[in-house]
Amino acid sequence: MQYVLRTLIAAASLALLASCASTGENTETTTADTATQQGVADPSGQDVQSYPYGQAPDAYDTSGGVAQTSGGQSGQEFSGQGGVVGNTVSADRIIYFDYDSANIRAESRPVIEANSRALASNRRTVTQLEGHTDERGSREYNIALGERRANSVRQYMVGLGVSPQQVRVVSYGEERPAAGGQDEQSYARNRRVEIVY
Amino acid sequence: MKSFVKIFGAFLILLGVGAPAHAELTIDVSKGIEVGGIPISIAPFGGGAPEDIAGIIASDLKRTGKFTPQPQDARADYSVTGQANAGGPRGYVVQFRLAGAQGGQLLNLSFDTPPNQLRPVAHRISDLIYEKLTGEKGLAGTKIAFVTAGGGFWVLVVADADGTNPKVILRSRQPIMSPYWSPDGSRLAYVSFEGRRPQIVVQEVYTGARRVVSAAPGINGAPSWAPNGQRLAFTLSKDGNPEIYAMDLGSQNPIRLTNSNAIDTEPVWLADGSIVFTSDRGGSPQLYRIGPGGGAAQRLTFEGDYNAKPTVSPDGRYIAMVHRRNGRFYIAALDMKTRQFRVLTSGGLDESPSFAPNGRMIIYSNGQRMNAVSVDGAVKQDFALPGRVRDPAWAPFGR
Repeated sequence: MQYVLRTLIAAASLALLASCASTGENTETTTADTATQQGVADPSGQDVQSYPYGQAPDAYDTSGGVAQTSGGQSGQEFSGQGGVVGNTVSADRIIYFDYDSANIRAESRPVIEANSRALASNRRTVTQLEGHTDERGSREYNIALGERRANSVRQYMVGLGVSPQQVRVVSYGEERPAAGGQDEQSYARNRRVEIVY
Repeated sequence: MKSFVKIFGAFLILLGVGAPAHAELTIDVSKGIEVGGIPISIAPFGGGAPEDIAGIIASDLKRTGKFTPQPQDARADYSVTGQANAGGPRGYVVQFRLAGAQGGQLLNLSFDTPPNQLRPVAHRISDLIYEKLTGEKGLAGTKIAFVTAGGGFWVLVVADADGTNPKVILRSRQPIMSPYWSPDGSRLAYVSFEGRRPQIVVQEVYTGARRVVSAAPGINGAPSWAPNGQRLAFTLSKDGNPEIYAMDLGSQNPIRLTNSNAIDTEPVWLADGSIVFTSDRGGSPQLYRIGPGGGAAQRLTFEGDYNAKPTVSPDGRYIAMVHRRNGRFYIAALDMKTRQFRVLTSGGLDESPSFAPNGRMIIYSNGQRMNAVSVDGAVKQDFALPGRVRDPAWAPFGR
């Protein structure tokens, strides 16, 4: 029920967002449609939309904070303060890390080894390792730290006979947390590498 | 003495099902009052304009920490009076007068303006008063960019320096990071994960036109403009680990400036073309400096176990950064002249500092909200904007 309500609110605010272009303080009023046409879609055809400053929407949705997970098509929501709704990346594809560290913990080895066996016996499969950090510290440094984590998993896999061509790496740093809370338990869940097929 | 001043801003957010909600703009200038802001009285403007011009001026001046607006007719060192009347070629005529305690006239100006420009005109008046009385340029008319997220989207917002008048100039289903203004204030460079991989994009703020300037394998991060506006520095990991590169915007050919097995990222330029950046080559992240063409790196920070994300004051005197000690993150500033290192905030999850164009204030995120602190730590501001505010970036003077 709460989910339905949230969806309704999101839809309503999107509609509002669109209509705001014509109700804002601007005299250069535009309808939602022209604003969209005048915006510039990104070159790769992804879902991204830019607006000239003079015709930009003046409201944005902050309901319940965001975000799909990094993990492929999986959907995951968190509120600004926490409350994870769902996590569809299965546990046997997540490797967790200590604070400020990219070292593979002993308890994570079985997860990496199982995935490595599957990859080594199926050379056509390509996987993406997505590195993440908790929210503490500088955002761009965290991007680098997330990549370092993903690379240490990759190195371990290659050492087990996986071809380097089968393993791609991307870091999201602290931008896509699995847990939205600002506590040690959430931070521990966010310091991770997800193996995405 | 500690007094908190709350200003209930006219900041309107549209939330949910159309009932407009009012967010308050809370500004704590306690320490500014402590050191004694200059008393200035600002009388309500006559003429019935749809904006509270005197209120905007009072709020702007109070936020600088250098002035203490007084009620009308109270004793003050300076007084502001004015009118905003319908008429003139553009719809409204705004006239104001700044006088000293003895009534001596310091400023007397009038503006023809359309009704939708009354708020910018009020900011302009604030900056004229500030500059006349302090000798330095004011920030009321400047802009701030920041990133926030909600409803499955990340948005890049450009707002006025008081947090009002937000404009969503980019909306994406993938993360947006690290906006950085061009020196002329016409473009923003940022990181976009569109297509599920990081790219560096330059967007023209006033047309919305955008161009991908780097999409190398691996990290494409932390863009910053050279002072001449012709070059970008950024981080690429295409050669195995994150290194600093500089690229002429005309050439599309990034030149590598660092060479270490460690993380090198978050480059910013000094006026002489040298670059300050974050590196953990010594074990923990610290700030280093290299020459315009790279070469040997000189370590700049030695306090605490984590110093990252440098931002340089426009005159090059200060470098502010994210600083960790005892597990808490603060904003700190290094005086490049005296080498004095000063922690400016009370700490927690502080990140993403960005200098104001007059070098007085530093804007940052406390992990939840946008805050600002003066470079001496005396003046503090707390902005209540909708959403978790990330990566605030203060625009240069201009336009």
